[in-house]
Amino acid sequence: MNGARAVLEALEREGVDIVFGYPGGAIMPLYDALFQHPVRHALCRHEAAAAFAASGYARTSGRVGVCCATSGPGATNLVTALLDAMMDSVPVVAITGQVRSELMGTDGFQEADVCAITQPITKRNFLIADASEIASTIAEAFALARSGRPGPVLVDIPNDVLKAKLGEDPIVALVADGPRAVEPQLSGAKPRPSADSVREAVARLRAARRPVAIIGGGIRAGGVEQYRTFASMLGIPHAATIMALGAATPGDPAFLGMLGMHGLKAANKAVQRADLLLALGMRFDDRVTGKPDRFAREATVIHADIDATEFNKIIPADVTLHGDLSYTLEALIDELKRGHVPRFDDWAMEARLLGGALPSDRVAERVLSATDALDRLFEVLPPDAIVTTDVGQHQMWTAQRARPLAPRKFATSAGLGAMGFGFPAAIGAAFANPSVPVYAVVGDGGFQMCLPELATLRRYDVPVKIVLIDNHNLGMVRQWQELFFSERYSATNLADNPDFTAIARAYGIAAFSLSDPADAHRVLAEFVAAPGPALLHCACHPTENVWPMIPAGMTVDDLMEARA
Amino acid sequence: MTCEVTLRDFRSIARIVNLAHRFNCRCTRIDASADAQATKASFDFDGPTAALTRLRAQIDRILAYEIDEVAG
Repeated sequence: MNGARAVLEALEREGVDIVFGYPGGAIMPLYDALFQHPVRHALCRHEAAAAFAASGYARTSGRVGVCCATSGPGATNLVTALLDAMMDSVPVVAITGQVRSELMGTDGFQEADVCAITQPITKRNFLIADASEIASTIAEAFALARSGRPGPVLVDIPNDVLKAKLGEDPIVALVADGPRAVEPQLSGAKPRPSADSVREAVARLRAARRPVAIIGGGIRAGGVEQYRTFASMLGIPHAATIMALGAATPGDPAFLGMLGMHGLKAANKAVQRADLLLALGMRFDDRVTGKPDRFAREATVIHADIDATEFNKIIPADVTLHGDLSYTLEALIDELKRGHVPRFDDWAMEARLLGGALPSDRVAERVLSATDALDRLFEVLPPDAIVTTDVGQHQMWTAQRARPLAPRKFATSAGLGAMGFGFPAAIGAAFANPSVPVYAVVGDGGFQMCLPELATLRRYDVPVKIVLIDNHNLGMVRQWQELFFSERYSATNLADNPDFTAIARAYGIAAFSLSDPADAHRVLAEFVAAPGPALLHCACHPTENVWPMIPAGMTVDDLMEARA
Repeated sequence: MTCEVTLRDFRSIARIVNLAHRFNCRCTRIDASADAQATKASFDFDGPTAALTRLRAQIDRILAYEIDEVAG
């Protein structure tokens, strides 16, 4: 038994079935231990993709995603994905090799102080100085990644520690070694809101005439059934942040859709007219609020979150409910049942009528519109499919249209907006959900940040379907240049894009092309029915914009539905 | 603003100082002592009220994560 083997044993104890990674010098002992080990390893083609795959695995399964990389450049390539996991509260554990202990501080080959680099973007990181600490540290890392508000944790292990000899049972060996608990009991420590705060919240709810509930990413940790029960018992109009799409009961007429910068008009307008806002596991991101001091000005705010530091950070709260969201919703339901249960059906109907059909740009008849293509895609997508997106226009178009059956059926880089996320996240999602169809909707910009992952797809025959919305532009930036930068299209034109279908085929991936709207029905049917991984290249109109849009720092009163 | 904190991770002191800089606050005093179990630290910060509020919230988050860790 050496340190590397102890790492894998510790991972097995945490229920890890797969690690996404990329080998290199300092972490070679771990890769040696992985050889023919029951913990599987998926070789990605870039460390960033490995970390995004771990995130996709975690986001769509609720389990901790694990990635690994070598020291120096391997470790620094994880940084974007770790920050992405931090922003979206995704439980990820990253294991990095470090140069030998004797080389640390000598500017050794592939040396980087990854703990210092990742301190602001992880919940915690650990540098293991002695192999006897490996099992307890990894147990602690997993407990911390899962506990409270989930997030990423990094464990950095020097090469000599990975190679160090241990006794046959490292778990026993470490018990006598140090103060760290072998079995942290963090998952049992979920907070519950106080009874007083719940009573106050329900009293305010009973007194409200135009309440709106907003569900946020907190729902991904659990509480979907409670949320659906709560919403249906009140008939309350409700909206979701992009992190919580899928939380509402499918077909719920009181659900107004996504809110925010590119959210649905009804959702944004209802929030702005609300006299009470029930914010559930959401953090009032600036893409949701626009200008905070003009956001929902008439509303009393009840804010529920597991992270108390979110309270009053952006929007002042009149009542705070500090607790795990499932406990909070249960407590609200119980308290409501003790007295009058108000119904808000009339207001919900009125709120729905504040919206209307999604606006979209008209494009020439024979040119494919991205929004039309996505509308048709979601008509034929298997209902239980998992959808991941990259970042940009296609992300917003997809978020406006997708109807995931549960929050874990939709994964996107929401808080960080990291291009290059969508495709590798889909690979991770497919590993975590082998019997579920997985679709990655990506743009031509972000897809080119992770093209080599086609090799990962091929090697493991992961049945991910890639829908490439190719408008030959970095479309969202182009849209902003058109609207806010006097049409000065600086560095957003991708007219020289490669032949993506040829690239896919070169990797052994089936490829389909769609450019004529008249072919959409046939091509989509063939694509969806294709066995195994496949790419659908959609050659779309280059200047179609995302509507509606609330310009940054403004409010729904400034909402745009078309070019001026 | 004065902050008195007990930290499990000594490195969090550096994190807090960096956050103050990021929020355009000035750290005018730090006292810290550590033993094997914990680090006790006291900070004085100057800065705009809104920035200090944001800094305090971020410090609270660091502390919350450390409480998560020792809760077991």
